Amino acid sequence: MSDEDPNWRVWLAAAQDGDARAYARLLAAALPWLRRRARARWPGSSAADIEDIVQETLLALHQNRHLYDPDRPAQPFLFGIMKLRGADVRRHRQRHSGRETAIDDISPDAGALMTRDTQEQDADQHRVMDALAGLGARDRQVLEMLKLRELSLKEAEAETGLSISALKVASFRAMQRLKQALKGGSDEN
Amino acid sequence: MKTEDLIAQLAQNAKPVRRALPPGALTARWLLVTLPVLAVMVLVMGPRPHLLALLMQPRFATAEILAAATTVISAYAAFCAGRPDEPGWKLLMPVAAFLLWLAELGRQCFVLAVQTNGAALELHADWICVPAIAITALMPAVAMVWLLRRSAKFRTTHACLCGAMAAAAAAELALPLFHAADTMMMVLVWQMGSVALFTMLGALAARLGLTALHA
Repeated sequence: MSDEDPNWRVWLAAAQDGDARAYARLLAAALPWLRRRARARWPGSSAADIEDIVQETLLALHQNRHLYDPDRPAQPFLFGIMKLRGADVRRHRQRHSGRETAIDDISPDAGALMTRDTQEQDADQHRVMDALAGLGARDRQVLEMLKLRELSLKEAEAETGLSISALKVASFRAMQRLKQALKGGSDEN
Repeated sequence: MKTEDLIAQLAQNAKPVRRALPPGALTARWLLVTLPVLAVMVLVMGPRPHLLALLMQPRFATAEILAAATTVISAYAAFCAGRPDEPGWKLLMPVAAFLLWLAELGRQCFVLAVQTNGAALELHADWICVPAIAITALMPAVAMVWLLRRSAKFRTTHACLCGAMAAAAAAELALPLFHAADTMMMVLVWQMGSVALFTMLGALAARLGLTALHA
């Protein structure tokens, strides 16, 4: 850091006094230097991360330029800000990376996107209930007795007054209509 | 946002700023507030009898000098902590000073224990040390937070820890001038324990205070 351009401390001191042109010169001159130093300090970081660190450094410099002592060189001041802010940025990234998953490369039906163990089962149940609601009252009654409550044909006969053969025919037809309704529902999706 | 655009925006907002005082000047200002507070505290609580003679004793004087050194070094480190261009080793100076001070008290305790056949190791409750340290350190701690408000923009937690240690060490510098501990073990456990306790709690309070001032 001994090869510092002597203009840097002049520009930074002028920036403290509100000289916008000197400030712009300093920031423009410091930008490639900061990028180079950031890449050297954090060689494993992506280009986007390096740019984030440089931007955070520039913002922190702007907010804390009153801390600069014009009797001292400017580069250690800038590098000190970058070290501290860069560490903050990286710490923040690491803290959040454990809770983040990149979903661009995951297919929509992948298990990684499940938020609950019963998610698929719940979705299937919901579809069946929707299809049932679309059937006639007789079909719903027959399916509910024979398929959901799992009554025997004799018990269903006693409850509805229909004959066993009529119940078998009604159950077969209700199942056909339910399958049709489910098929229609999936076609729509 | 592109970095070049950010630079253009920052340059447009280059308003004049008031330069922060360097750490040495801030330390001097803090001492200007703290030393009169300590003097008033000693006068209010009543100085110990034969205080001048006591200060001439090498054992007592050494402990006081080390307390004063820890106070000044910790305050200086607190004001350095917020500066990005100050090296990290300066933040460790208070730890070294405190350990040296503690080691000297430990050495004195050991020597006295040998000389008095263990009497210096006697320990009993001396609750007065805790509020005495807290009350004496309160004003220096408030002054520290006030002076840190513009300079502790980086490594704020370090600044608060060093600042709280400076205030606690200042209180411990004054405490032996108005309160006599019965044994050296009492000094080590109650007085230095109070310093450690105030440093921890004071740092926490200072962190909250600075956050409120920065908001």
